[in-house]
Amino acid sequence: MPETHPETLLTDEIRAHIGMEGPVLTATEQVERGYVRRFAQAIMDVSPEYAQAGNRDPDPLSPPLLPLFLFQRPFPSGDYLTERAGDPDFDGTDLSSYTGLPELPLPGLALLNGGAEVEFFRYARHGELVEQQSRYLDIRERQSSKGPMLLVLTETTYSTVAGEKLLRVVQTDIRR
Amino acid sequence: MSARQILFGQVETGQSITSLQLGPLTTSHLVRWCGASENWHKIHYDAAFAVQHDGLPGLLINGSLKQHFLAKMLKDWAGGQGRLWKLSYQFRAMNLVGEALTAWGIVTGTEERGRFGLVYLAVGIRNEHGRESTPGKAAVVLPLSTAVPVPYPFDPERDLA
Repeated sequence: MPETHPETLLTDEIRAHIGMEGPVLTATEQVERGYVRRFAQAIMDVSPEYAQAGNRDPDPLSPPLLPLFLFQRPFPSGDYLTERAGDPDFDGTDLSSYTGLPELPLPGLALLNGGAEVEFFRYARHGELVEQQSRYLDIRERQSSKGPMLLVLTETTYSTVAGEKLLRVVQTDIRR
Repeated sequence: MSARQILFGQVETGQSITSLQLGPLTTSHLVRWCGASENWHKIHYDAAFAVQHDGLPGLLINGSLKQHFLAKMLKDWAGGQGRLWKLSYQFRAMNLVGEALTAWGIVTGTEERGRFGLVYLAVGIRNEHGRESTPGKAAVVLPLSTAVPVPYPFDPERDLA
């Protein structure tokens, strides 16, 4: 039997998510010196300004894209790696949403990282607490050899709790 | 960070900027990044799962790691008095464990705006075989002279008026 595909994934129910805005979320922790070190070493960008004051800023900074990774599973919470350890199909990903946006009703569809557009304003300083707010900017459909797929564009702004802008990111997720 | 500050007047369309060489990237690099980013997707460190379950040709280098290579290259090229303003990239092809990557950029346009210079670039990441995986674009703001650094924090509405 040849594989069949739906004619469209972009239903009215999915389209209704465009423009939806999530709540303002506060990072799991403030920007910590030890985390900045581990992060900078992991991305192989060990600029001195991540450890000490530089000529750009009177405070030690963090790598430009670090705020994207400050919104993690809070402590204490369940251990999903243990809970799903016996599932041979478990791919290790956390199904929790860290944007606060409602999940799109697309059960069984893979989620691929398509890329992003980033606008930089300043880098987070050690000790700062970061907030984010997301919204579904657009949802577009494309046809591929495997049938229709959706490009889900989510805009997230990252700021300090004092209201200073750090980053604006438009993330593209591919669902197919 | 660059030892010498590049100025807008030193930049021409078609010019390549200083590239960034990385790797070969091993599973250890990816596990280190998975820990830092708290992303435990098995396709980055569990070869049996990646190949036998997901049908991939090997362990994948995280897109979330590759994006930092472009940001670092551009930040370093802009120098302490310049600013990386915009960066976009698409993850169009896989990179596998064992590959050596080069982040590159070529100037596609320049524009003097107010007291500063805007430089537009095509950027990307290629492996040691020349295969491109991550095409993108960027905009960097450079000083016209070392006497007037691009402000930090950077406010495009104020600083490029």
